[in-house]
Amino acid sequence: MNCEKYQMLLSDFVDGTLTAEDCARLELHLGSCPDCTDTGNDLRMIVDFCRGQRGQYEPPPNERAMWLRISNLIEAEQGPLNQLQPAAEPGWLFRLMHRSWQVSFPQLASIVGTVVVVVALGTGFGVRELVKTAVAPPAPNKPQALPDERHRQQQEMIAYWNQRVDLNKARWSQQMRDTFDRNVGVIDAAVDDSMKQLKVNPHDPVSEDILNDALNDKVALLKEFSDY
Amino acid sequence: MKLSASDNPRPVKILSAVFSILIVLTAPSFALAQQKVSRHYPAGENVRFELKNVTGTITVETWNRDEIAVTALMDNRKATINPRMTEAGLVIDIVGDNRGLGGNVGDINFKIQLPARSSVDLETRSGQINVHNVQGDLVRAHIWTSGDIQMLGVNASRVFASNVEGNIFFDGEFVAGGTYEFKSGRGTISLQLPASCGFHVVATSSVKRISMGPFWDERRMQLLSDGRRITGDVGDGRASVTITNYQGNIQFFRR
Repeated sequence: MNCEKYQMLLSDFVDGTLTAEDCARLELHLGSCPDCTDTGNDLRMIVDFCRGQRGQYEPPPNERAMWLRISNLIEAEQGPLNQLQPAAEPGWLFRLMHRSWQVSFPQLASIVGTVVVVVALGTGFGVRELVKTAVAPPAPNKPQALPDERHRQQQEMIAYWNQRVDLNKARWSQQMRDTFDRNVGVIDAAVDDSMKQLKVNPHDPVSEDILNDALNDKVALLKEFSDY
Repeated sequence: MKLSASDNPRPVKILSAVFSILIVLTAPSFALAQQKVSRHYPAGENVRFELKNVTGTITVETWNRDEIAVTALMDNRKATINPRMTEAGLVIDIVGDNRGLGGNVGDINFKIQLPARSSVDLETRSGQINVHNVQGDLVRAHIWTSGDIQMLGVNASRVFASNVEGNIFFDGEFVAGGTYEFKSGRGTISLQLPASCGFHVVATSSVKRISMGPFWDERRMQLLSDGRRITGDVGDGRASVTITNYQGNIQFFRR
């Protein structure tokens, strides 16, 4: 049993309505848990105070009406909130994080042991896979993902900077517009040419280099002219 | 009826007088349309000059004086030039100085005179760049779009020249251990070098028009990708030369 459960028994303990067995277990726990002892002492003080002050305060003339007003006020405040947010059960992570845990030494030792075994097994498998990957040659006929991914990113950047350029282009002189379009055309032709070459020979390093260079040049050119 | 100067000389004289007056009156207005700015700056130990132009011709020359002279001829009288002397050297940023003009800076033609030991870093969006006899650490000429680059008598340890549309001509020497990069989208890249030059070259032209000229050595060079790339050594191979041309020629000449 953990502190949370022991603290639920405190109220009955202070009232003296707890079973003898629970009472004994709680007293044993209070002897070793200062937090629960403090909570128990606080609760006992409040109850004792209330008992001591019993009869000294006059009840309001219409106690029921007062409680109804309080109840209405609370409902009025909670109403819109409840309409917007349906009451949700706290998630398992929330419950896990807000739960107080108390484990014995053997329990703790077995948890630590389990974690060590799982980590060791995982590391072993990971290292084996890594060695396998490093030793194995690249699969033939399989397209390399890295250049494709790089080209996709470059195309995304080109699309972004193109939009920025289009916003300003109307302000340019006709001569500058013509020059810019002509030069972008030169770079695009290099891109197209490299793509064609790569279709014929997918592993041609020269075409790969030119394609990469041309796409980078286009990004740089668009970026430069985006604030012109 | 025939009308000729000899028939009636008076109207002809009047007309020529009117034209003469018009020419005299309009000539200064053409001259006034352009604004000339000329400034001088002291050159430090390690001279570095940076210029970022928008459009126009940039010419850099060397002289024996220990100062940098900047002469600018501006088409747009609203354009401003604000050279800044920094620890790194003299910096002129026409793009930054004229952001308010919304791209209508117009042509600015620069003539720069500086000591031969200077490093120069030049950039323009379009226009020609000429660099003569600079022998500092760095010579960089970059044209974002169209324009020719000419480097004559350049002897620097790092040289970069690039444009998209236009020719690049380099006449100079490669320093052992130096780095040299030339790149064009569509234009001819020509390198004129002394016979004693030693370098490792990687020349790439996707249209297969690479001529190593007198520097070709079949034992020390190889053709790759159907002749679209030539790589190999010339002489001691100690300078590193990279040339890329998307759609144009690459050619080597001996000086």
